[in-house]
Order: sequence, then C-alpha cells, then structure tokens
Amino acid sequence: MNNASDDLTDKVIDVRGLFCPEPVFRTKMEMERLHIGDRIKIVADDPASEEDISRWVNRNGHELLSVRKADNDLEFIIKKAK
Amino acid sequence: MTSLTSSDLIERIGNTPVIELKSFSTRNIKFYAKLEWYNPYGSVKDRAAYWMIKHAENDGILKKGKSIIIEPSSGNTGIALTGIASALGYKVEIVIPDKVSTETKDILRRLGATIHETSDDLCPRVGAGTDQSIALAKAISKPRPDVYYMPNQYDNEANFMAHYESTGPEIWKQMDGRLTHFFTGCGTGGTITGTATYLKEQNRNVKVIAVQAQKNHLLQGLRNFEESAMPDLFIRRQQVVDAWFTATNDESFHMVKELASRENLLVGPSSGAVMASMLNVADKFDSGIMIGIFADDGRKFKSLYAEHGVFNLTEYERLLRANTYLPETACPYSRN
Repeated sequence: MNNASDDLTDKVIDVRGLFCPEPVFRTKMEMERLHIGDRIKIVADDPASEEDISRWVNRNGHELLSVRKADNDLEFIIKKAK
Repeated sequence: MTSLTSSDLIERIGNTPVIELKSFSTRNIKFYAKLEWYNPYGSVKDRAAYWMIKHAENDGILKKGKSIIIEPSSGNTGIALTGIASALGYKVEIVIPDKVSTETKDILRRLGATIHETSDDLCPRVGAGTDQSIALAKAISKPRPDVYYMPNQYDNEANFMAHYESTGPEIWKQMDGRLTHFFTGCGTGGTITGTATYLKEQNRNVKVIAVQAQKNHLLQGLRNFEESAMPDLFIRRQQVVDAWFTATNDESFHMVKELASRENLLVGPSSGAVMASMLNVADKFDSGIMIGIFADDGRKFKSLYAEHGVFNLTEYERLLRANTYLPETACPYSRN
C-alpha cells in the first residue's frame, strides 16, 4: 500500500475496523498533536469516513491534499494548516 | 476530600436526608426535599452508578485489572461512575461534550477519568451534544467487548433498580408513608420510574410529577423530550407519570436564589426546577404533602451562576461558607 506520498507524511494512523464517529475522533486527536505544516495519512474502511473526515478537515481549516480509494480502504492525506 | 474504601462506599451510598422546607410550607401544604448531594460523589447519580457496576460484576461482565468502563455523560453520572469504579479498582473513560463546564471536567480528571471530548462537528448525522458522546462511546466499546463495558444508563435496568430498591423505600420510610405528591427531574428516567414504581406499590394514590427542562436549556441533568428522544428505560414505565411540568431556565434560577435566601440551601439548577414545579402544583390544591428530589448542590455551578446573574462571586462565596447543608464528600470540588 505504500506509495510516494507516504514518504511525505509525518504520521500514519490506521482506523480500519472503526466506525463513525471514531475515525474522525482519532483523526482529530492526532491532528492536535501535530505541528502546523505537518502531514498525516489516515487509513479507514468505514464508507462514511469519506464524507465525515473530508467535512471535518474542511470545517476546521486544514487541507485535504488527497483521498485515494484502494480496494475497501480509503487513504486521506491531510496537512495541518492552523 | 475524603478517600473511600470500597466497603465505605457501600455503606455511604443512599440514606440521604429529607428536610422540610419550612419557609415554603403552609398550614395545609408541606414541602420536603431529599438532599441527594449527601451521596459520596455528590449527586443522585451515585445510586445508578453503583447499581450498574454491581450488576455488571454479578453478571461476570466486569473483570478487575482488565475491564475499562466507558460512559457518555455530561456531568453527574460521569463523576459518580469514575469515583465509584476507581474505588473498586476499574479504569474509567468518560465521553463528554466539549461544552460541559470546566468545573465538571476538572472533577473528572481529579478523580482519575480519561476524558474524551466530543464536538458537534464530529459526525453531525448522529445529533448534537450528548448524542455525539453516546455515538463515540458506542463506537469505541462495541468492537472491543473484551475490554470495554458501557453501562449505558439510558437503557440499563440497574438504573431503575437503584431507585426501586433504595430511593423509593427510603422516602416511604422517612415520610412514614405520608406523602401525596412526588416530584423529580427527568434525564434517563431511572429516578422517576424506580422511585415512583415503589411509592405507587405502597400507595397507588401518590401522584407523580415529572419535571423536564425547557428547550435549549441550562439545567444540567434534565432533558427536554421534544428536543431529545425519551430513553428506552423511561419509555418502558412512563405510565407511572401522572403529570408533567416544564421548567424554564428563569424560574429554575429564581428558585435557586429563593432556596438560598429562605432555606440556606445552595442547590444545583435542576433542584430549582423541581422546587418551581412543587410550588406550581401546590397552587392547585388546598392541602398536600409534597416531596422532591434535589439531585445535586451548587458547588459545580459557580461559573454558570455567575454568568447568568444568579449569584455574583461574593454572594456565592458567602453562601458556600454559610451553608449548613454542604457535607464534605469524596467529590473533589474546585476551591477556586
């Protein structure tokens, strides 16, 4: 599952097997620990995560750099912007 | 702050005092209050918390050294569960809306809870406030039943049994069976259904008045059942309710002030709501003996009362010093 973008992330969290709202909650907790400008990769498999994580990232002023679908997994790359 | 052993706890939960509110009583109508903050962790919720833990232990669900108790709560249940479960040797995680008062969060941390704060933007389709906390607590506990136990006070029969086996019999005994009306605030429905079921078994003529909050309220511990769904625990026995009273923020805060000035009682907002409902119902009768549950005292509401002009900080401090009904408990209230 590794690809070029993995090398650019400062943290990877795997929330596969977890359901709404826990993937967003784990994302929020990890984002609070990062520094501005850091990038994080989230791997999820709850289909609702696509909407939930994307919305949370946008509402909270961070940057959603990419969302990639691979089999049943969703991979989000997020940049902490504030 | 008093530290408790597990055997102390069993002794000290319940058997809270009943006092007559003499400045409100008249020749033919008497008012009484059951002061639930005399429980070790400062509220009526000690009963439900202890019964839920005890039942889970008896059913073999909880295992010391392994189980983590997780519960969504906006206040007293979280405090009671954390205090009691910690004393009994369990770890506790409380899921709490981020808007809950700083005083409450501080108490939970001092008691040793791990706190997960939820915000309304986590997963908007599950609702707001406590509904977000309920969803997260379920999401954390459901996939990990070997570690997590969520008592779920909204659907746990032990919550009903706590009041059927303790609060109801205590009131019946303390009043020598002489009461005409029973009043309590409603959140989970455990207090009202458990207590009222017992009281009506002793005397089916006892009238039961359920107190709910107005919409968009500030009365911690109460719910408004147009705004929030009625919990399953309440739905199962809602027929025990004879009448409903919806308390406003203003009249509840007004009664908090009246109880302080006339009875030297520093109560929480939900007790103000119960007092308002007792006076309202009493107006319709020529005689009666009314008793209400006063769920908690005012020690967690300093900032709320200051913000809404109930008491300024000087008045509040004076009440804290002068109050004759604030026992030392195991609940670590802020001194600031």
